[in-house]
Amino acid sequence: MATLDLKAINKSFGTAKVLHDIDLAIQDREFVVFVGPSGCGKSTLLRIIAGLEEATSGKIVIDGQDVSTAHPVDRGISMVFQSYALYPHLTVFENIAFPLRVQKLQPTELNARVAKAAEILQLSDKLKLKPGQLSGGQRQRVAIGRSIVRNPKVFLFDEPLSNLDAALRGDMRVELSQLHRELDATMVYVTHDQVEAMTMADRIVVLNGGKVEQFGTPMELYHHPATKFVASFIGQPNMNLVPGTIKEMTPDGPVVALAGGHTMTIPVEATTAHVGSKVEVGIRPEDVDLGTDGLEVSIRVLERLGGASITYGSIGDGTAFRASLSGNAPVREGETVHLTVDPAACHVFDADGRVLRRQAAPGLVA
Amino acid sequence: MMDRYTKLQMAGIYFAITIFLIFILLPFFEMFMTSLRPLEHLFRSPYQFWSDDFSFDAYSQMWVTVPLLGRYILNSIFIATSVTAITMVFVIPAAYAYARLDFPFKSASLAIFLGVNMFTGAVLLIPLYRVLRTLGLLNTYWAMIVPGVAFLIPTGIWLLRSYLEKIPRELEEAAYVDGASRMYTLRRVVLPLAVPGLIVVGVAVFIGAYAQQFLFAITFNQQRELQPLPAGLYEFIGYQSVTWNEMMAAALVGVLPVMVIFLFLQKYLVAGLTAGAVKE
Ligand SMILES: Nc1ncnc2c1ncn2[C@@H]1O[C@H](COP(=O)(O)OP(=O)(O)O)[C@@H](O)[C@H]1O
Ligand SMILES: [Mg+2]
Repeated sequence: MATLDLKAINKSFGTAKVLHDIDLAIQDREFVVFVGPSGCGKSTLLRIIAGLEEATSGKIVIDGQDVSTAHPVDRGISMVFQSYALYPHLTVFENIAFPLRVQKLQPTELNARVAKAAEILQLSDKLKLKPGQLSGGQRQRVAIGRSIVRNPKVFLFDEPLSNLDAALRGDMRVELSQLHRELDATMVYVTHDQVEAMTMADRIVVLNGGKVEQFGTPMELYHHPATKFVASFIGQPNMNLVPGTIKEMTPDGPVVALAGGHTMTIPVEATTAHVGSKVEVGIRPEDVDLGTDGLEVSIRVLERLGGASITYGSIGDGTAFRASLSGNAPVREGETVHLTVDPAACHVFDADGRVLRRQAAPGLVA
Repeated sequence: MMDRYTKLQMAGIYFAITIFLIFILLPFFEMFMTSLRPLEHLFRSPYQFWSDDFSFDAYSQMWVTVPLLGRYILNSIFIATSVTAITMVFVIPAAYAYARLDFPFKSASLAIFLGVNMFTGAVLLIPLYRVLRTLGLLNTYWAMIVPGVAFLIPTGIWLLRSYLEKIPRELEEAAYVDGASRMYTLRRVVLPLAVPGLIVVGVAVFIGAYAQQFLFAITFNQQRELQPLPAGLYEFIGYQSVTWNEMMAAALVGVLPVMVIFLFLQKYLVAGLTAGAVKE
């Protein structure tokens, strides 16, 4: 049982302000992923939660207790580092047992706990080896093993998969999700990879420039991004952003003239915009279809992935436009095609990059 | 990868190495040759490089000429070993503090340590003499150990600090998160990983201690039984003659322990001295 609350966390290194008023309430047994571009402050925030770094101001509350100045062990956290941070001179057994040795645990209890961790992580036959004799994935598991023997309340992971190759990363993603279910623990996971965030998280925190852009479930972030930043960060290939101008307000939403000449009535609540406002219309590549009218897109590069065909091109005024079409879509490089767009699938962002609320709400259970 | 050298370049490199080695090793060779000659050959004119009466007699005779020779050699080793051990006791925590902790005047004090190294012991002999006299340490082993330690600590700190800095910080952070204290982390994580560095520093300190004994021994110690080898070699200078061949033999035997250490630890020394030169 562990909830984790961050209250108005600020952090500066000298004059550089790295984190701005971070407020988060993480629930018991939740798997929360911090995602954002490199340098946005993810690791710093995680290290503040761990107690490796002190916040300039703000509070860390675990299970209702203010632990802002407590030692990591007393906070009940454990951490897995990006570099694994295994002790190269100790065996796998001793690496996993390290936190228990520090606690001076009884040998029988210690052996039992290490054996259990090793079993969960399929390391039972590797206990006598040194980290140098293991593969990347096995080292990763040893690092996780060391974090679970202490039965912490909150697990912290800093980009644990970024040193692994793509195939192994996929496997480890599944293993970590499974581990989360088995341990029934609260986990905070840092990554810059939106795929990891989308696949593993119960809820995602999108960080940008030291600020929380949005905190929500993967589907909320996908269907209802709060800002242009979140919209373009979540989803592969990236969302298209087409400049446009509001021509008219109707009860069904604003009528937007897109760059390149297409006009659509988009069902959003135009509270912060008015006729004449410059907006950007977000269209996901997977939300368009080949058709006879709609956006006119000239295709520069075509990638056939088998299941899907990704096209890279531009619309009339030169704005880049990506589309994800069916695997055998009848298109060729150098061709100009019409792509139809369902206005209800579009996102509209005002000049500040904030979203105009969508009237229809796909993917959200009311 | 660097380009391979051409044949001509290789020849040049080997030529330079040869010149360098001759320059370094010639004194040792001459010492060895001298130790093999009967004494009267040394003064023969013209100088004769090769002769047919080479012998190892000096190596047995030297123990008779200077009966305490064995004691002197042991003293040398004892003093150098004590200096090394005591120096390491101070250097390890200090180097760790300089490598990892933040404290006021950190870089200033480090610079002062380096500054101390600029003074040779000779400049400070008189003040040191007074200090040792006040402490009542003159004419004891301590008279040769204490100044030795003092002069070697700065070098040791500088060498070991740069080595400890290369141990990834995340290892210590991991230990900290798992509840380990600084001392536990130092003992269980940092020092085991720093063994090559410790060996390098230990050997450097030992050699330094071996080399600097002479000055401290002849100034701070009058007790014959406590003298190290470099001071003991003076006894080969008799009233009438100097038995050069025996002195050279004794010097070679005395240098032997250092040479043996070098041979065994050479691998670590090369790795340790170049480590840190490039960022991995
Ligand atoms: N110890 C530090 N001293 C000074 N600046 C730091 C320190 N640690 C991190 N930073 C700065 O804080 C910002 C956020 O870093 P970090 O949290 O590591 O980002 P992320 O993990 O999201 O890539 C970066 O601009 C980085 O340069
Ligand atoms: Mg980071």
